[in-house]
Amino acid sequence: MAITRINIGPVHPSTHGVLRLVVDLDGDMIERVETHIGFLHRGVEKLVETRMYMQSPAYMEKLDYVAPLSYDEAYVAVVEKALGIEVKERAQYARVILLELQRIASHLLWLGTMCNDLGQMFTVFMWSFKDRDMVLKLLEEASGNRMFYVNVRLGGLQRELPPDFEAQTLEVMDYMEKRTAEYERYIERNPVFMERMKGVGVLSSKDAKDLGVTGPVLRASGVEYDVRKNNPYYVYENLHFSMKSQEKGDNFSRYRVRIMEIKESIRLIREAFGRMPASGDMAGMPIRLRSPEPVNKVSKLSRELPRGECLMYMVADPQKPYRLSIRSPSFINLAALSHIAKGQRLADLFAILGSLDLVMGCVDR
Amino acid sequence: MKIDREQLTSQVDRMKKNGYDYLVKITAVDYSDHVEAIYMLRNLDAGKDESLEVELKNDDLWVPSVMRSYRGADWYERELSEMFGIEIRGRTAERLLLEKWDGANPPLRKDFVWGVQYKAKEE
Amino acid sequence: MQADMADIVGIQGLLGSGSIWYNILGIIVYAVIVMVLLSVFGYTFGWIERKIIARAQYRHGPTYVGKYGFLQNMADLIKLLSKREIRLAQGDNFMVRISVPLMLSLSVFILLLLPFSQSLQATNLGLGLLLVFVTIAFFPMFVFLTGFSTGNKFGDISAQRSVLMLLSYELPMIIVIVTIALATGSYNIQGIVAAQANRWFALVMPLGFIVMFVAMLAEFERPPFDLREADSELIAGWLTDISAPYYALVLFLDYTRMFLGSMIISLLFLGGWLGPSFLPGIAWMLIKATLVALFVIVIRATMFRMRIDRVLHLGWLVLIPLSLINLLITYIVLLWIL
Repeated sequence: MAITRINIGPVHPSTHGVLRLVVDLDGDMIERVETHIGFLHRGVEKLVETRMYMQSPAYMEKLDYVAPLSYDEAYVAVVEKALGIEVKERAQYARVILLELQRIASHLLWLGTMCNDLGQMFTVFMWSFKDRDMVLKLLEEASGNRMFYVNVRLGGLQRELPPDFEAQTLEVMDYMEKRTAEYERYIERNPVFMERMKGVGVLSSKDAKDLGVTGPVLRASGVEYDVRKNNPYYVYENLHFSMKSQEKGDNFSRYRVRIMEIKESIRLIREAFGRMPASGDMAGMPIRLRSPEPVNKVSKLSRELPRGECLMYMVADPQKPYRLSIRSPSFINLAALSHIAKGQRLADLFAILGSLDLVMGCVDR
Repeated sequence: MKIDREQLTSQVDRMKKNGYDYLVKITAVDYSDHVEAIYMLRNLDAGKDESLEVELKNDDLWVPSVMRSYRGADWYERELSEMFGIEIRGRTAERLLLEKWDGANPPLRKDFVWGVQYKAKEE
Repeated sequence: MQADMADIVGIQGLLGSGSIWYNILGIIVYAVIVMVLLSVFGYTFGWIERKIIARAQYRHGPTYVGKYGFLQNMADLIKLLSKREIRLAQGDNFMVRISVPLMLSLSVFILLLLPFSQSLQATNLGLGLLLVFVTIAFFPMFVFLTGFSTGNKFGDISAQRSVLMLLSYELPMIIVIVTIALATGSYNIQGIVAAQANRWFALVMPLGFIVMFVAMLAEFERPPFDLREADSELIAGWLTDISAPYYALVLFLDYTRMFLGSMIISLLFLGGWLGPSFLPGIAWMLIKATLVALFVIVIRATMFRMRIDRVLHLGWLVLIPLSLINLLITYIVLLWIL
């Protein structure tokens, strides 16, 4: 058979940013996928070395523009670790609530784009976009910004949560619970959806470990590892967090893991509000020119972002990071694409790409 | 854990047999007088992390590839060689991972100064 | 069952029979009427589709141009027509230029064969239905031609998919047509509609109705069978390298084809212009066609796109057996029961 080589991207409706794929096709079957990245490379790791510690959170947020707060928090947390700053207990709860809200927002956007990749005419996309907007409004209430929050400060948050934040959030969570059930009902009863998700893009648990994929992709393959469970930070230990995983490792498992994570996040937010100490302070240190002297030369820290595990490795200098190395979850999940897509059909390539939940800013850094 | 470059592959193999079957990240830090390559491995079942730090002299920058043990090392190794100029031996990288750029030195090394205009490399 | 030829007005009926010049004038006048109907309904369906899909997605759709955004499509059309044409370096520009207008003329040709009411039809051919479906089978060929001559690999894949789908959907469609002809004893569309005076064929042969409806969706590139211009996979498939003026034609063609498809479905299965007599026949015809089109639009708003192998699976292993079962049941009922 003759091999057809087609080029997809960097500008293509379903590459989620600037990703270029060179695909060798044998008929309709994929022989080989070559992934070209780096179109969005901004040299953030180098840039951070030239900035003061608290100048960088804004750069971190632009890495993953779908879940900016998560990256922001991961960076501030590694700085806190290096500088030896404790986070106030109330602020820990508040951070967990905001992070879980961010996770819901990110997964909702993923759900919409996933359905678009399967050829839906933007219907689920618009629905989930509307719901995501409600979450974004909550985050706006808490931080003052709609997209890029930059409200995590050393030792706490930029400011206290607004007084009616709890009531508002719980109301939205009730709505979100209903909506999630509605999505499940609508999507999982659609025969075409099930046909295109089940048994497509299978990643066995052995391969998943070998390729080092992370987050929902890893858990969908039956490997149970979630930083919130295995290496808990903040108050996740106190909350009754249960890890969500699936066995099969196909597209549908990845979808299920994310849907269950939305539900789990809703539950976590409710529980966190219940356990949050009523009194206390959550304001962190205001941004000053001089930050405290670092106590740890090398600090390493993992966070479970919506897309997977982010590992921040920082070598500290006074006032500035000497080196910051970011292990971005999308990067390593994308690396697994050429393995997963091999032998699948061309149409499934986009389903697989969608199910990996990539953000190109996070891949290229 | 600090180890020598020569022992790297055997140590990685040994650790993989002992349950460290997940590669978290390969990265490097340029300490001006030397470059340190860091291999972060994880035992998923026990939830334990281990780092292997390999010290490299500035004029002798190469490490053996660990692709044989972890396929996930592929992109990390390529990133390492492009960003730090560390040669990876024992594997072939058919092309650049990140797109081509016209600067001369590897960008994450400390002798690359942020904000300085570098001349394009002669082809 | 044969429709009475004398009742049909056709071209001659418009101006009364007379010299050949009258006939030629009649042809022109009728073609203009058909073209206007096609344009008006194609345009309106385009607007309805945008509005309905927008409502399904918590949006408003077009609102600014005209009342309820009715003229938005016209504005889009003008914008597209005013853009420059791209000459393809590696493609066959001539083929691209002629095939899209040819497709549009094909749909006008089909509409000339379809009756709007008992008296409004260009020409009442004895084998009219066959000719209609032979002409419909040309659409995928033109899609193939366009996709192939753009010299684009996405167009290429799209062209291949087009032929694959042609192979899997023509057969069940033809079998259903044969069944209808068996039931009515003719391929004459007037006769087929007249045979539904007591009950619609959708009730007589529901299986055939479903098969025909699905096959029509596939034939006219409606979701979930829009694999040829699958936007999330092939960018726009055979339309990837089409320049703006032709793209405007293709968009218009999409809606006219939707109109055609709903016309054919309502003629063959929903009793055509037959209905209570407080409305004229043509009104019933258009109402039925609009309802079918609405259903098609709702499907577009909700369905996911199928994969090519599943489409072929559906065509060969589901629709063909179903249409054969339908044929068998109809034959048995006709032979032994009636």
